Amino acid sequence: MIEVKNLSYSYGKKIIIEDMSFAISQGDFCAIMGPNGCGKTTLLKCIANILPVKTNSIFINGKDSTTYSIKKLAQQIAFVPQHTPLDFEFSAFETVLMGRNPYQTHLQNESQKDWDIVEECMKKTNTWHLRFAPLTEMSGGEMQRVLLARALAQQTPIMLLDEPLSNLDISHQFEIIKLLREISQNEKKTILLIVHDPNIAIRYCKTLLLLHNHRIVYHGDIEEGLTVQNIKDYFGVEAMKEKINNQTHIIYK
Amino acid sequence: MALTLLMFVAVFVSLMLGITSFSFSEVIDTLINKVTDTPDNSIKNTVLWNLRLPRIVLCLLVGAALSVCGATYQSIFRNPLTDPYILGISSGASLGAAISILLGFDTGLFGIGTIALLTALLTVLLIYKIASIGNRMHTSTLLLTGVCFTFLITAIISFLMVLHQDKMEKIIFWTMGSFASASWNDVLVVAPCVIVGICVAIYYSKDLNLLLVGSETAKSLGVDVEKIKKHLLFFTTLMVAFAVSSCGVIGFVGLIVPHCIRLVVGADNRLVVPYSIFVGGIFLLICDTFSRTILQPAELPVGSITALAGAPMFIYLLYKSKKQL
Repeated sequence: MIEVKNLSYSYGKKIIIEDMSFAISQGDFCAIMGPNGCGKTTLLKCIANILPVKTNSIFINGKDSTTYSIKKLAQQIAFVPQHTPLDFEFSAFETVLMGRNPYQTHLQNESQKDWDIVEECMKKTNTWHLRFAPLTEMSGGEMQRVLLARALAQQTPIMLLDEPLSNLDISHQFEIIKLLREISQNEKKTILLIVHDPNIAIRYCKTLLLLHNHRIVYHGDIEEGLTVQNIKDYFGVEAMKEKINNQTHIIYK
Repeated sequence: MALTLLMFVAVFVSLMLGITSFSFSEVIDTLINKVTDTPDNSIKNTVLWNLRLPRIVLCLLVGAALSVCGATYQSIFRNPLTDPYILGISSGASLGAAISILLGFDTGLFGIGTIALLTALLTVLLIYKIASIGNRMHTSTLLLTGVCFTFLITAIISFLMVLHQDKMEKIIFWTMGSFASASWNDVLVVAPCVIVGICVAIYYSKDLNLLLVGSETAKSLGVDVEKIKKHLLFFTTLMVAFAVSSCGVIGFVGLIVPHCIRLVVGADNRLVVPYSIFVGGIFLLICDTFSRTILQPAELPVGSITALAGAPMFIYLLYKSKKQL
């Protein structure tokens, strides 16, 4: 599904990503973790082709991502950035409707089909009742759900999310991550998300992509990857791993 | 629909009013004579056809150009305080006008308009070159460079005016904007550029919405951000450069009109851009009609009328946006 081969990226002389190679299979629900500044966001932006990458470094469905047109790639990958600027007031409905842009030409207006898809996606994310509300007046959780609805409306096999749980309280964190897992299971979507909380990641995600110092240090099953040793080595935090009621918990010392 | 009607009403009222006022039927008769090619050598015909109508058409074109450009810039730069002059068009054009007035190149092919157009385009190009890093342009750098250049050029113009105080009045009047010398020639020069610019803005109006939610998001939603920004900036800037060189610097239209429209129809540029064409044109036509009728036979600079009407609006908007924070 997604194949990254010897990917490197730097801003000027500052190296952000150094020679990363990995493959993500269809239907994976993968947590990207790592200390701040290790290149997680840059990696996602490279995969989404928002940052210019060299040819033959990222393959989507076996095809070099740079050979896709911008619209065709937007039909494959949905990307939700960490920050969404809110300078002008669009309603939630208008925002989600933007997700249909990859399927429209310049002067084309939305069809009934687009409207139906938007309604479906908003109901799925429990935002239909907010459809007339401007994004500027929403709470963090509501806004994150609207942005998720937009990504769903894009109807892409791949979704990339940059810290979708940051700025959310615990209950909303659970709500969003459960929703994401449901989507990945029910619709066989491949989801990559950046998360910071190891307990949430280990409970809901399938695999782990662990980054440290601009390189990949672990890629595989999340239970096996989030070891006490790895947490100590890469985050510098002493922790214990305990199984309570058959659920693994990370407890900091 | 209602706006088209309003536009025709405004055009008619503006045709009727002036130093010599005409009745509704007189205006109709003269226009019918023109359309049916009946010879008509009355003063009415000359005044309406050669003085008022070109002025009115130019007003509509310039008003539309400024508002559409303002709406476009505000979306591209994601900054509600952006106006069409932010990239130095107005200061560039004013410098050109000042130079040509000082050198006495007042009329003809190399008159004020042409020189103002050239200096306006040169200034924008220079600012654009300075602000773009590699092949990408950084919007906040672009805005800051524009503002800096505007200050620099305004200072140069003040300097020129102090040195040549006899020409000061003429330069000041040009920079305040006026349609007093509008002719069919001006209309022919300005119209093609404005029409092309407006068409480009309409064509990309949906993409403009997506630019408003951030260029990264826009790109991930299938918008070729860099290409579209360049196309839009090129065509809308060109259209405003032509507009400004024909009538001088008319402020507030490009800043205020798009905001007023957003207050009524929302932020969707597929509505804001087309509405801007009509509302901008009508607003400027009304202002110009006031400017030439209030103190007859003297004319006020139309730029001061738009500012008088626009500034309170703008202050209201600032107050409102402060409340939102």
